[in-house]
Amino acid sequence: MSPAADSAASKRQAELLKQEGNAFFKKDRISAAIDAYTGAIALCPKVAVYWTNRALCYKRRNEWVRVEEDCRTAIQLDSHSVKAHYMLGLALLNKDELAEGIKELEKSLELGRGAHPASYMVEEIWQELSKAKYIEWENLSSERVRQLHKLKEACKEALRNYNSLDNPPAYVPEEQLNELEEVFRKARKSDIPTEVPDHLCCKITLDIFRDPVITPSGITYERAVILDHLHRVGKFDPVTRETLEPHQLVPNLAIKEAVHAFLSEHGWAYRMR
Amino acid sequence: MTSSSSPSRKALSKIACNRLQKELAEWQVSPPSGFKYRVSDNLQRWVIEVTGAAGTLYAGETYQLQVDFPEHYPMEAPQVIFLNPAPMHPHIYSNGHICLDILYDSWSPAMTVSSVCISILSMLSSSPAKQRPQDNDRYVRNCRNGRSPKETRWWFHDDKV
Repeated sequence: MSPAADSAASKRQAELLKQEGNAFFKKDRISAAIDAYTGAIALCPKVAVYWTNRALCYKRRNEWVRVEEDCRTAIQLDSHSVKAHYMLGLALLNKDELAEGIKELEKSLELGRGAHPASYMVEEIWQELSKAKYIEWENLSSERVRQLHKLKEACKEALRNYNSLDNPPAYVPEEQLNELEEVFRKARKSDIPTEVPDHLCCKITLDIFRDPVITPSGITYERAVILDHLHRVGKFDPVTRETLEPHQLVPNLAIKEAVHAFLSEHGWAYRMR
Repeated sequence: MTSSSSPSRKALSKIACNRLQKELAEWQVSPPSGFKYRVSDNLQRWVIEVTGAAGTLYAGETYQLQVDFPEHYPMEAPQVIFLNPAPMHPHIYSNGHICLDILYDSWSPAMTVSSVCISILSMLSSSPAKQRPQDNDRYVRNCRNGRSPKETRWWFHDDKV
């Protein structure tokens, strides 16, 4: 690519091609959109959005190898691209690279939080991330359960052998067996689905927080949902009814950390009902 | 007034659906006392049985509340009415419509079916007399063609009852 290719004229031309591509995409004319974005890329290959827009077309067609290629290029150009990390994550999950896919989705969620309340992608990213995390948890927890069961049986066997040294053979006091059961029950506890604690759930969605924000009254809500409330219902705090303006919302980082800690211990909480 | 009072219904949004499933799960674990709801497969309409609290005018009497959820619940209030026969109460019309601010202007998305039920029961419990609102006949006549109470412009002039 010669330096001239990045001239003002070709920038303008590339921008026009992108708009054309967007229009085709909206009309579901995916091939035409791909051609337009490809044209834009040829003129200005350093603009990340052209690559992510084309990736979105390939995603629509389930051409995941191409999605991955375009997203990787986009990330090299703009490491903060929410969409590039998001679609790369999906592409990786699609070829069963669970851990890598999750990493990319987490990255995009982190970048997407709070950033553009208008083009809100957090919920969509969260849904995909949850599905992947839940599968990961199912795999890990069934392995843990298997291991614990094996260990428990081995412990019982050891108790029997130990006690049989001076007791009637194979006799183990009931009490010891109960205590052993209790120890293993506790070890399994965090893998047994229960309820997510209320303080980690939004008072409106009743669901675990994705992007918690706190109001001047001290109540924490899901960002997208409280913004929707202020827009549709009225400018007041839903719990305390005190006046509330969108700019008064502040990220609640402590709760965000608490959610993160809870989820890393209790993967079942990713389950979508 | 039964099915004719149902609002024109759009399917629940995803947020509404999620939220109602959570409310339902919570209700099943700990329903508000005095209320019974037998789960049906219709998430969008709950018919709830309420029993008047002991020591009040409605002690031991049972009534049916019908709760219909709009597409954008909880950003919009649910429509709550009593099915026929509605309790005799100064704020409850004979067609089942309830004059209670939180169901209309004072709705907040932080309220739940459960908290609405509790408010309605407390409204019943504090009733001084079993009688209809003064403008009952006129109001009910105006609602004849199945108008939703949410379309009424309510006057909440009396918050003592």
